[in-house]
Amino acid sequence: MKIVIANGRHEADFMIKKFKQDNHKLVVINSDLEFGKYISSSNHIPVLNGDTTKSYTLEDAGIHDADVLISLSSDDIENYVTCVTAKKIFNVKRTVSVVRNPKRVDLFKQLGIDSVICSTYLLGESIKYETLVESITKTLSLENDKIVITEIQIDQEFSIANKIIKNIDFPPRINISCIFRDPDVIIPNGNSEIKPGDKLIIVSTPDEQENITEFIKNKADNNEE
Amino acid sequence: MKNSKNKILVVGSGRLGASIAGKLSTNGNDVVIIDKNSNSFRKLSDEFGGYDVVGDATDLYVLEAEALIKDINEVIITTDSDNVNLFIAHICFYIYNVPHIYVRLNDIDKGILIEDTSIKPIYPFSLSFDDYMQKRSERDEK
Repeated sequence: MKIVIANGRHEADFMIKKFKQDNHKLVVINSDLEFGKYISSSNHIPVLNGDTTKSYTLEDAGIHDADVLISLSSDDIENYVTCVTAKKIFNVKRTVSVVRNPKRVDLFKQLGIDSVICSTYLLGESIKYETLVESITKTLSLENDKIVITEIQIDQEFSIANKIIKNIDFPPRINISCIFRDPDVIIPNGNSEIKPGDKLIIVSTPDEQENITEFIKNKADNNEE
Repeated sequence: MKNSKNKILVVGSGRLGASIAGKLSTNGNDVVIIDKNSNSFRKLSDEFGGYDVVGDATDLYVLEAEALIKDINEVIITTDSDNVNLFIAHICFYIYNVPHIYVRLNDIDKGILIEDTSIKPIYPFSLSFDDYMQKRSERDEK
């Protein structure tokens, strides 16, 4: 693949090393003369110094028909203009922009940037997911911790979503006592289907609990039959 | 209820932005002018009767809640950065479908990025170039 790395500092350096290992054709442009020299000598690669929002810089660098351009400037708008120019004038197939301001992720996508990456945004999403995972499982212990009741909400990504219970290869000693599908409460049998959004109420011993929740939370792609 | 007056947004209160805002306002238009820096509004003439908004015009929240972009039918973008001007012009065109958009671009090469839109560029380069050529030909005629 022909990959263009526009601006950026250590993240650019890191990517160049990685892409070089995989034998991609690299075009590197950096507006910081000194840092450009550093990247150039540490990776044994030519680095063009220039403003990537100017079409003549991109022309000089020869980015025509590149497969992907990654714009890593700390200035969001510089990244935007670089990506738009690459796409419109130089027929670059895919543009990737980093942004500092998380509010711009969706905006950049709406304006035609193929991928928009924001570390703050990713952090937020990941925290949201973490808290979601925590809330998935509620546990109630009975008889001095000899029996536990686990409540798990089924996400549509889980491999058991949209499957009939008897077709699911459950681990032994699992007992789905009840399915709560708002507003209904279903006492399941082998022919009951598990749907996304269902809450399963599972009775088990504490030892089994971890295995069971792990099995149920398994995502679809690594558990296809 | 639709106001019959033309609602205009001027982005950037430099010499050009402030002068345009003042002129359009005295001609009876509803004008909103936005700039990041409140000191910039000192360039506005005393006759200016519109609203000034301190804020970042690349922020959709500011555009919607303070500049009322959805009611605007004409926008003139005059900040000192071509890249910022282009970005705001694209937002006005692609996100808010503002009917009339004018954008100042110092670099005429960037005009290609608004080519297939209804955004109209204003090039100080072309104006100066034409002005010089005009004056030069006047001299030759004498």
